[in-house]
Amino acid sequence: MEARTSPDSPVFSASASPNALCFGDDLPATGAPCLVDLDTSGITVHLLQAPPIVLRVKFDEVSVSAGGLDHDQLVAQWTGEQGRRSLYIKDPVLIRAFRAAAPPGLTRRLDDTAAAVRRTRTRQRSTWAAVGGALVAVVLVLWFGSDLLVEMAVSRIPVEWEQKIGEAAYRDVLAQQTVIKEGPAVSAVQEMTRRLTERLSDSPYKFEVTMVKNDVVNAFALPGGYVVVFTGLMKNAESGEEVAGVLSHELNHVLQRHGLERIVKQLGLFTVLSVIMGNQQGLAGLMREVSLQLLTLRFGRDQETEADVTGVHLLHRARIDPEGLIRFFDRLSAKEKDRVELLSTHPMSQARAARLRTEVASLPKQLPEPFTFDWKSVQQSLAGP
Amino acid sequence: MNSEVLYPGAFPMVRIQLAAGEHIKAESGAMVASSPTIDVESKMEGGFLGALSRKLLTGEKFFFQTLKANRGPGEVLLAPTVPGEIVIIELDGLNEYLVQKDGFLAGAETVKIESQMQSLSRGLLGGEGFFILKISGKGTLVLNSFGAIHKIELKPDQEYIVDNSHLVAWSATTSYNIERAAAGWVASFTSGEGFVCRFRGPGVVYIQSRNPGGFGNWIRQFIPVSE
Repeated sequence: MEARTSPDSPVFSASASPNALCFGDDLPATGAPCLVDLDTSGITVHLLQAPPIVLRVKFDEVSVSAGGLDHDQLVAQWTGEQGRRSLYIKDPVLIRAFRAAAPPGLTRRLDDTAAAVRRTRTRQRSTWAAVGGALVAVVLVLWFGSDLLVEMAVSRIPVEWEQKIGEAAYRDVLAQQTVIKEGPAVSAVQEMTRRLTERLSDSPYKFEVTMVKNDVVNAFALPGGYVVVFTGLMKNAESGEEVAGVLSHELNHVLQRHGLERIVKQLGLFTVLSVIMGNQQGLAGLMREVSLQLLTLRFGRDQETEADVTGVHLLHRARIDPEGLIRFFDRLSAKEKDRVELLSTHPMSQARAARLRTEVASLPKQLPEPFTFDWKSVQQSLAGP
Repeated sequence: MNSEVLYPGAFPMVRIQLAAGEHIKAESGAMVASSPTIDVESKMEGGFLGALSRKLLTGEKFFFQTLKANRGPGEVLLAPTVPGEIVIIELDGLNEYLVQKDGFLAGAETVKIESQMQSLSRGLLGGEGFFILKISGKGTLVLNSFGAIHKIELKPDQEYIVDNSHLVAWSATTSYNIERAAAGWVASFTSGEGFVCRFRGPGVVYIQSRNPGGFGNWIRQFIPVSE
């Protein structure tokens, strides 16, 4: 029962400003600001409205729980003359006074509630700590292990896919270029390719080397074994061994799946994770879009160095003089005096040549087997319009 | 300080009259016009780290602007970025409000603004992110919405279900749970509702009649894709 009397022997007397909110069917939804006084027998609620109303309720009529968004408010509920009433107390001083004044039975329930709130908070904190820790771990793994993840993902992509991606890009390139299909230069490149690929009998790739009429001094490899050699490289090389060296380097980009590694890196974490998790289907579409990007793809410096070293080993196994590749880099280095190594994707040619010299020195000596073609006449066949 | 909403509806402004020496906090960039007696200062509420955490965590602007009537009384006009209603709430010092990050427009100097971290499930599924603004103290609080603002009044233990992307603000005496909109997971998403919040009274919940994310998705289809 709710009675409208004045309190006897107050143990907590509120200050002038309201310290709780009172809710009920006849009160506003935001709650009526009120002053709560406590004594040993019950609660006195002064509703601060005109005319002021004083509600008096005994502790044995009240049920207590924790409420509010964070369960950090003390909620006292009772049924009075005006129906069900709820008192929301947030002020810690008032909550302490309530616990001191209320009978032990009520206090025990309050303590249980308080313990439950503490448990919830602890659980919430530990969940956040666990989530934070997991995030930090993921960031660390990505920071230090992204290459490992990329390699894991790449190793799970079938070679047939790689060939399809490479082939699409290859057809696109050739459609826009003048392909040289026959002649002494094509035969020479075919001979080099045969010499090199004979040593790669266990490779899953079928290499296809095409010569394109273009003055760029370069060659490039697409995933799946598609290699393009520009006539500019043929005209500028001083021997067949130089071209064979570049070819060997490009073949090794394919063998090490460097193109695929770059694609996966560009597609990012999402791809890596989805491949590791086994969702390869969704990836096929993405890959197709990326095949166009292949044309502008640049390998990383680590990949270039790796292709250089394995390229020299392949030349050695094919009994082609690896000095050709080194001389090619020497001549390139003469043209790039102004470049800054740190900013380049390719290592400086001078450093590459030096690195390869030590590599060659560590290989057992052997007598190189010369090519059957005459380099000067190969070059002359490309001259003219 | 005295505030009044001008042009109620989709494109309102709020006029706030300040006595000499009074100041208000407003969302950075919210000021439209002011009397020459008003100075605009940029202040990092809660110190540099507080402002930084609010910026990083709630996505709220780094600085609030402080508009201060230094040289005598004057008025300022404030407007939000998005079309939508403005509502003025008088805080009584007891009711605290939780406001989603874009809902705050301005507040009296006595109004206290903090970032509050939500529980993991509320943060992930609630649609307001992990951090929301907790606004307490006594004085005028000005909120804005995308679309019209609708006030839901909840009696003790009364429940109401709100699509989470329509939430603007709610009082701290309410509690809520995140639920799927329909019984099954698939139906929840195919119905277009996803997750909803089941609010439980007592207290008030302010909702907005338009969903900013939904509007963004709708308008995206008309934006030409550049190369």
